[in-house]
Amino acid sequence: MVLSKTEAAAALADIQETTRRGATLRGYRIGGPIMMLWSVIWMLGYLSMGLLPSHQWGWVWLVLDTIGAVGSIVLARPADRATKASVGRSGGQSLKMIGGMAVAIVFVMSTFYVLRPTDPNAYLAFPGLMVGAIYAAAGVFVAGRYLGIGAVMFALTLVGFYAFPETLAFWMASASVAMFVSGVWLARA
Amino acid sequence: MAQADDLIHQPLRLKIMAALYAEREGEPPEFSRLKAITQATDGNLGSHLTALEKAGYVEILKDHVGKRPRTRAAVTATGAKAFRGHVAYLRELVEGID
Repeated sequence: MVLSKTEAAAALADIQETTRRGATLRGYRIGGPIMMLWSVIWMLGYLSMGLLPSHQWGWVWLVLDTIGAVGSIVLARPADRATKASVGRSGGQSLKMIGGMAVAIVFVMSTFYVLRPTDPNAYLAFPGLMVGAIYAAAGVFVAGRYLGIGAVMFALTLVGFYAFPETLAFWMASASVAMFVSGVWLARA
Repeated sequence: MAQADDLIHQPLRLKIMAALYAEREGEPPEFSRLKAITQATDGNLGSHLTALEKAGYVEILKDHVGKRPRTRAAVTATGAKAFRGHVAYLRELVEGID
């Protein structure tokens, strides 16, 4: 068999595209359970915000975020192994995940500190908007399904903020169902 | 110089081998997932998997998860070597190495 340079280049491009598609689907399957875990954390956190006085919110989220971070690292282990198999070295997925979460938490805390919102609902809505925006950006640049998930989270947060200001914490807690369903959708990819 | 592999070069078989090679250290992908990765139809995927299995490049694994039958595919050591060789051939051709 004799191939031209163009045919060989097209075959290599096919291999690259197939590998990329496989990695995206693998990422969905690993990201799905992580999203389901965070939907439970999200629900517990917002329920606590609805039921407990505001001075206890910080501790509740600290405990929940720690559980979420540890759980995410455990659930991301297959991604690390797969990356290592694919490229011959660790992808450092766990470290990237910890780094990403740390950036998000520092950003939220700093924003609250600088802007000092007087409306308590701003504290409830801002994380939802930010997480929605992060997912949407991931959808634009990395894996398309996250765009839809981010848009839904963003929209649900805005709907709750304007339509149900009195019960926003409980609205946000119930919105975690959408997050859980999104996780199932990813896991089945 | 590396040699071309006639069997692997067929476009869908090349995609199947690329997908299975990338997953070689992990859980072998199920038929439905392989179909999504390669964007093939059921019939096409099945026939090309059979061709690759006959050549010893791919192993088909059939079992049950609960009551649901499951078909998975994995690249064999022979298949992995053949795929690496074919990719090396393609790269040499593109880079103009004789």
